[in-house]
Amino acid sequence: MLLFGSMTTAAALAWDIGETVQAHGFLSQSAAHTTHNNYAGESADDVAFDLREIGGNISWQPDPDWLISAQALMRWAGETDDGDLRLDYGFVDRTLLSGPNRLGIQLGKIKNPYGFHNTTRDVAHTRPGVIMPQSIYLDRMRDFFLAAPGVSLYGEHAGQSVTFSWQANLVEPEVDDRELEFVFRLRDIPGHYQGKRSWYAQGLLEMDNGRWRLGLTLNDLGMEFSADDSSTNLRTRLLSLEHNRERWSFAAEYMLIDVANRPKSGNPDNTVEAYYLQATWRFMPRWQAYVRRDVIYFDKDDRDGAQFHASLPPPLRVLHPTYSRYAKDNTLGVRIDPSPSWSLFLEYHDVDGTAWLSPQDNPTGTTRDWDLFLIQAAYRF
Amino acid sequence: MSLAMAPMPIGAPRRVLAMTSRVLMPILVGWLMNWLPMVALAVEVIAHPSVATNRLSLVTAKAMFGMRQTRWPDGNPVRVFVLPDGHFVHQAFSKEVLNLYPYQLRQTWDRQVYSGTGQAPVEVATEEEMLARVSRTPGAIGYVRKVNVNEPVRVIPIQ
Repeated sequence: MLLFGSMTTAAALAWDIGETVQAHGFLSQSAAHTTHNNYAGESADDVAFDLREIGGNISWQPDPDWLISAQALMRWAGETDDGDLRLDYGFVDRTLLSGPNRLGIQLGKIKNPYGFHNTTRDVAHTRPGVIMPQSIYLDRMRDFFLAAPGVSLYGEHAGQSVTFSWQANLVEPEVDDRELEFVFRLRDIPGHYQGKRSWYAQGLLEMDNGRWRLGLTLNDLGMEFSADDSSTNLRTRLLSLEHNRERWSFAAEYMLIDVANRPKSGNPDNTVEAYYLQATWRFMPRWQAYVRRDVIYFDKDDRDGAQFHASLPPPLRVLHPTYSRYAKDNTLGVRIDPSPSWSLFLEYHDVDGTAWLSPQDNPTGTTRDWDLFLIQAAYRF
Repeated sequence: MSLAMAPMPIGAPRRVLAMTSRVLMPILVGWLMNWLPMVALAVEVIAHPSVATNRLSLVTAKAMFGMRQTRWPDGNPVRVFVLPDGHFVHQAFSKEVLNLYPYQLRQTWDRQVYSGTGQAPVEVATEEEMLARVSRTPGAIGYVRKVNVNEPVRVIPIQ
C-alpha cells in the first residue's frame, strides 16, 4: 500500500516536472561565396561551408517564481570559431515581484543585454538575416559582448499600450579569444585577455503595443592582457529604434564605442561609430524580403583609416590596409519559412571595406571591394 | 463558415483526409484571410474551470500570453495554450484580442526561449484539442472561436 502510494506520488511528480520542463534546439548551415576575400572559410571564388551552429537548451520552472535554464552551443565560422562545445548561458532566475510591475534577479552565466538582437544572435530564426548586422554586432568581437557570468536585476512596468522594461548586469566578460588580439593588438601575440568587472544597463520602451520600440544600451566592458598588464575598456552608447507594421518592419541602431587603452603609450584611444538601417517586408505569408545599409568605422576621427595606416610599422601594413578600418555594406535578402521549424535565407552583400574580416581567414591580404553571397538553411524546435 | 468539419464516412483514407484538412484548412483559411479585409471572428479567452478569475485586464492577458506573467491573480501557475502561428483563429485572437501582430508574439516568445528568460506556450493543432487540453489542465488559459454552454471550460472576458 505504502509502495503503491509512493509510486503514484512519483508518477504525479514526473507528470508535474513534465509540465514545467521544456527543451528547445536549433541548427543552421550556410554556404558562402565571395568574389574576393575569405568570409568564414575559404569562400573566395569558391564555396565555403564553414558557417554552422548547433544549440540546445533546457529550462525548468519548478514554481512560477523560479526558472532554471541552460543552453549549450557549438558554432563554426572559418578560422575564428571551430565548433567547441560551450555553455551559452546557464542561470537561475527568481521573480521577486510579479504582475504589471515585475522585478526579478538572475544569477549565473547570462546573455548580455545589448541592442535588439544580441541575446539570441546565434539562433538563425531570430536574426534579421543570415548574418547579424556587422556594424553593431561585429562577430570579430562577439566574445566580448556575448554572455558573461554575473548577476542581473531586471524590471518591467506594463501599462495599457506602453511597456517599459530595464535590465542592469554586473559581469566579467569571457574574452579569451585570439580574434580579439587581432582586433585590439593587430596580431596574435603571446598572452591572452582576461575579463575585468564590467556592467551593462538597458532600457526598452515599447509604445502602441510594440508598434514602436525604443531602446538604449550603455555599458563599460573591461579586459586586461596577461602578458603586459595593459588593459582595454569599451564604453558603449547604443540607441535602437524599431517600427512594426503588419507587412513592414523598420529598424535602426546607432552606436558609439569609446575604446580606452591603459597605459596610454600602447595603442591610441579611438571611438568606433556604427549604424544600420533595415526594412523588412512580409510580402506574402511565410515570405520576407529585406534591405539593409550597414556601416562601421573603427575610428570616427579617421574614417578612411589613413592616419591609422600611416602610424603602423611596415610589417603590419599588408594585413591592416586603410580599408580594414571600415565596412560599408548594402544587403538584399529573402527569407521563407516553409514550416514553423524551417527557415531558408538567401542574401547578397555588396561591401566596401574589410572591417568584418578576420586576418586569420585572410593571411595573405584582402581586397577593398567585395561581394558576399550567402544561403542558409535553419531548423529549430 | 464550415471548415471541413462535416462528418466523414468511415474509412481509413477518408479519416486521413479529414485529419489533414482539419490541420491544413485553418492554415489555408488564415493565408486567404491575410489578403481580405479583417473579418471579426469573436474569439473568446477560455480557462480551466477551477480558475478563480472572472475577468482579466488586457494588460494581464498580454503578459500571460507573452509568457511573462506566470501566476493567476489567486497565485496558481498559468499554463498557456496557443494555436499555430498560421491558424486563422490565432491570427484573429492575436490581432483582435491582444492587439498584436502574430509575428510580434512569436518574436517575444523566441527572445525568451532562446535566451533562457522564459518558456514557450504549449502549441495545439486544432480548436478541439485546445478545448480538450484547457478543460483538463489546472491553471490553463487558451482561446477558441465559440464555446458551447456544456463545454467544461470557463470563458474569461478581457477588458
